[in-house]
Amino acid sequence: MTGTLLMAACYGAGGLSSLLARWSGRLALGVGHLAALVGAVAGLGVSLGVLVGDQGRTLTLPLPELFPFARLTLAVDGLSAFFLLVISLVVIAAAIYGPAYLRAHSPGAGPARQAAQVLALNVFLGCMAFVCCAGDALTFLLCWEGMTLASYVLVVAGDRDGENARAGLLYMVMTHGGTALLLVAFLALTERAGAFDFAALRAAAGGLDGMTRTTLFFLALGGFATKAGVIPLHVWLPRAHPAAPSHVSALMSGVMLKVAIYGILRFAFDLLAPVAAPLPFSWGWTVLVAGTISAVLGVLYALQQHDLKRLLAFHSVENIGIILIGVGLAMILWRREDVGGALATVALTAALLHTVNHAAFKGLLFLAAGSVLCRTHVRNMEELGGLARRMPWTAGLFLLGAVAISALPPLNGFVSEWLTFQALLGAASRFHGPAGLVIVFSAAMLALTGGLAAACFAKAFGVTFLGRARTPHAEHATEVPPSMIAGMVWLAALCVALGVAPGYLMHLLDAPTTGLLHGPGASAVVTAQGPLVLSTALTASGTDATAISMTMVAALLIALTAMAWVLRRGLRRAPPRTAPTWTCGMSPTARFDYTATAFAKPLRFVFAALYRPRRAVIRETAGTPYVFQRIHYSGEVVDLAETQIYHRVQRGITVLSRTIRLRSTGRIHGYIGFVLAALFVALLLFGVGQR
Amino acid sequence: MSAETVQAIIDDLGALLLFTMILIVAASQISRAIYAVAAQSFLIAIAGAVLATATGNVDLWVIAGVTLVVKATLLPWVLHWVVRRMNVRREVEPVIPVAATLALAVAVVVMSFHLSASLGTVRQAITGNALPVGIALTLSGVLVMATRKTALTQMVGLFASENGIFFTAMAVTQGMPLIIEIGVILDVILAALVMTIMVLRVRSTVDADIADLDRLKG
Repeated sequence: MTGTLLMAACYGAGGLSSLLARWSGRLALGVGHLAALVGAVAGLGVSLGVLVGDQGRTLTLPLPELFPFARLTLAVDGLSAFFLLVISLVVIAAAIYGPAYLRAHSPGAGPARQAAQVLALNVFLGCMAFVCCAGDALTFLLCWEGMTLASYVLVVAGDRDGENARAGLLYMVMTHGGTALLLVAFLALTERAGAFDFAALRAAAGGLDGMTRTTLFFLALGGFATKAGVIPLHVWLPRAHPAAPSHVSALMSGVMLKVAIYGILRFAFDLLAPVAAPLPFSWGWTVLVAGTISAVLGVLYALQQHDLKRLLAFHSVENIGIILIGVGLAMILWRREDVGGALATVALTAALLHTVNHAAFKGLLFLAAGSVLCRTHVRNMEELGGLARRMPWTAGLFLLGAVAISALPPLNGFVSEWLTFQALLGAASRFHGPAGLVIVFSAAMLALTGGLAAACFAKAFGVTFLGRARTPHAEHATEVPPSMIAGMVWLAALCVALGVAPGYLMHLLDAPTTGLLHGPGASAVVTAQGPLVLSTALTASGTDATAISMTMVAALLIALTAMAWVLRRGLRRAPPRTAPTWTCGMSPTARFDYTATAFAKPLRFVFAALYRPRRAVIRETAGTPYVFQRIHYSGEVVDLAETQIYHRVQRGITVLSRTIRLRSTGRIHGYIGFVLAALFVALLLFGVGQR
Repeated sequence: MSAETVQAIIDDLGALLLFTMILIVAASQISRAIYAVAAQSFLIAIAGAVLATATGNVDLWVIAGVTLVVKATLLPWVLHWVVRRMNVRREVEPVIPVAATLALAVAVVVMSFHLSASLGTVRQAITGNALPVGIALTLSGVLVMATRKTALTQMVGLFASENGIFFTAMAVTQGMPLIIEIGVILDVILAALVMTIMVLRVRSTVDADIADLDRLKG
C-alpha cells in the first residue's frame, strides 16, 4: 500500500525534477534518475510483497476521484506484481546507467532537452508501472496512453534529425491504431458492465456469446500485438527503438513490449475467459502461429541488419514471438484435461520466465550497445571493430548478453527456451493430426530461431568487438564510466542468477500462474524434484518427465573450461610468441577483416526467397577493364511485411486520393451542390424509412 | 387569437415566403435578390410575432425583434453597401440558366411537400404547412448557393436557407430556446462579416472573385 504510493511519489518527483534543469541540466538528470531508481526499488518491494505473501492476495488502492463517472483504482494481483517486478528490475539498471550515458552521448544538449528527457522518462516509467497495476479500464487506458506519448517524446527528443522524427511519427500512428482497437474492446465491455473496474468487466464478460467474445479478444489482441511488435505489425519497432536514448531503448524493448504481453494475458485468461470452460481454439492457435512467425522472421531480419541497435530491436520481435509461443500454447491447453493438465502451467511458466529473461538480457545488450554508441557515435557495426581491447568491460558484458539471448547454457535464455520446448514437445505428443503437426513445426522453428540467433550474435559481437578498428571512431574509443558499467553488471548478474539457479524464481511465479490458471503453481509443476532441478512431470505417473539441473550444467561447464585451460597450460611446450599476421607479404589492414555483410551472406543466399536481396556493384575502371580504381557495393534486403502489406496499402491510398483529386473541382458552388444532393438523398431515404 | 386563425395566418405567411423564395431564385440582378431576402426576413419576423401572441412565449418576441433588426435591415444594408463598394458585376452570374434553377426549385418544393406528407407523426406537433415550407426554403437556399458564381449571391442564398431553418424551428417546436436562436443569428452575422471581408479583400488584392478560387487547385 505505502509502497505503491511511494512509487507514485517517486516518479512524480522525478518528473518535477525536470524543473531543476533551469539551474543545472546535470542536476536535473541526476535527481530525475535517482527518483526513478527509488521508485523502481519501491516497485520491487511492492511486487515482492505480493508475490511472496499469501497466495491469491490482491492489493487494492482507491485513487482520488478524477472523473464523476468512474472510480479509479489500483489492484496488484499476482500477474500485475510479476510484471511490476520485471519493470522494476530493468528500471533499476536504466536509472543507474542513464545520467552518465546522456551526458556522454550528447554533451552539447541544452537544459530544455534534458528537462524534456527527464520528465518524459519519469512519466514513461510511472505510466508503465501503473498500467500493470491498473484495477479498472480507465486507469489502464490513461496510463497506456501516457506510456505511449512519453515514449514518443523520448524517441524524438534524442538526436535532432529527420530520421528520428519519421520514426516517431510511424510509432505514433501505429500505436494509436492499436490503442483504438483496445478502446473499442474495453468500451464494449464497460458498456455492458456499466462500470469500469475489472471485477465488473469480468462479470459482464461472463454473459457474452461466443462470437462477441472472440471478436473482442481479437480486437484486444490486435491492439496489444501492435504494441508488442508482432509481425506484421512490427514495422515501427526497428525504427523507433534505436532512435531513443539507449537506456530508454532498453526499457522500450525489454519492458514496454512486455506490458503488451501483460495485456494479452489479462484479457485472455482473466477478463474474457469463459466461466469454467476452455478458451476457444481459435485464440490459442492464432497466438501460437503469430508467435512462431514473429520468432523466425524477427531473427532472420535481425541477421541482415548492420545497425547494432536496429539488430537488437529485431531480436525483440523474435523474443516476443517466443513468449507468444508459450502464451498461445497455454491458451490451447488450459482447462482441457484430456490433453493439457499441468502442461498449460508449464507453457505459461515458460512464457513468464522468458519475459523476465528477455528483459534482463535485452536490457543488458541495449545498454552495452549504448556504451559503444556513446563512445564512438557510430551505430553501423561495419564502422566499428576491435573494441574488445579498448572497452573490455562493455565487450565482456555484451558477450554475456549475447550468450544469454542465443539460448546457450548456462545462462537464462536457455532455461526459458528449454521450458518452451518441453511444453511444445509435451503438447505435440498429445495432439494428433494437423494440430500436432503445427506444434511440431513450431518447435522446429523455435530450434531454428535459436540457431540463427547464435549466428546473428556471432556476427554482432565479432564484427563490433573483435578484429581491427575500421574507422577512427572505433580507434579512439575508451571505456565508459563506472556508473554505466554498474548498470550493465546488475543486469548481467540477473542473467547469470536466472540461468544458474532458476528454480528459486519459480516460487515467485506461483502467484501469477495459479491466479490465471487456477491450477497448480509453477513451483509445484516445474521444480517438483527440488529447487536445483527443473523438471516437467507432465503426467501423474511422471513417465515422460524430463529434468535438467542448470546448476549442475553450470558447474560442469566451469569444470570443463578449467580442465581445458589447465591441460593447455600443461601441454604448452614453447613460450608464446607475438608476431604480425601473415598476409602473403602485404601489410594487414582493417579491410581484410570479415565484414558483417559478408558474414551474413550465406544465410542471405539460403533465405533469398524471404529476403529478396538487391545488390548494386559499380566498378570504376582506369582506362582498361582490367584495372579497377574503385568498387562500390551496396546491397539491401526487404522486409516482406513492409513491401507486401504496407507498401500496397500506401499505393492504394495514393491511387484513391488521386482519383478523389480528379473529381474535386475546387469550385465552391460545386461543393455546395454535393451538399445539396447529399441532403436530398438523406431526406428521401428518411422519408422512405418513416413510411 | 384562436388556433385556426393562427394556422391560417402561418399558412398564408408560408405562401408569401415561398413567393419571395421564387423571387430570389429568379432575380437577375443582385440588388433585387437582396430586396427579396429582406422581405423574406420581414415575413419571418411577422410570423414570429404572430406565434408570440398566440402562445404567449416572450422569447419569440425577442427573436422576432432581433430578426427584424438584424436580418431584415442590417444584413441587407451591408450587402447593398458591398455591392455599391464593388461597383461592378451587378448581375447574378448563374452557373446554369435561371429557368433551369427555377425548375429545380419547383422540384425541391414538390419534394418537400411529398416528404412532409410522410412525416405524419412529426406533423401533429406543428402549425399547418410550416414544415414543408421550411424544408423547401432551406433546400432552395442551398440551391441558390450552388447555382450562383459570385460570393454575394451565395450570401443571399445562405440567408434564405437560414430563414428556412428559422421558420421550421419556430413552427415545429414553437420556438427553440432563446440562447440557440441567438447563437444561430450570431452565426449568420459572423458568416456575413467573414464573407464580406473575404470578397472585398480578394477583390482589392488580386482582382478576382471567390468563384475564381478554383484556380488555386493544384
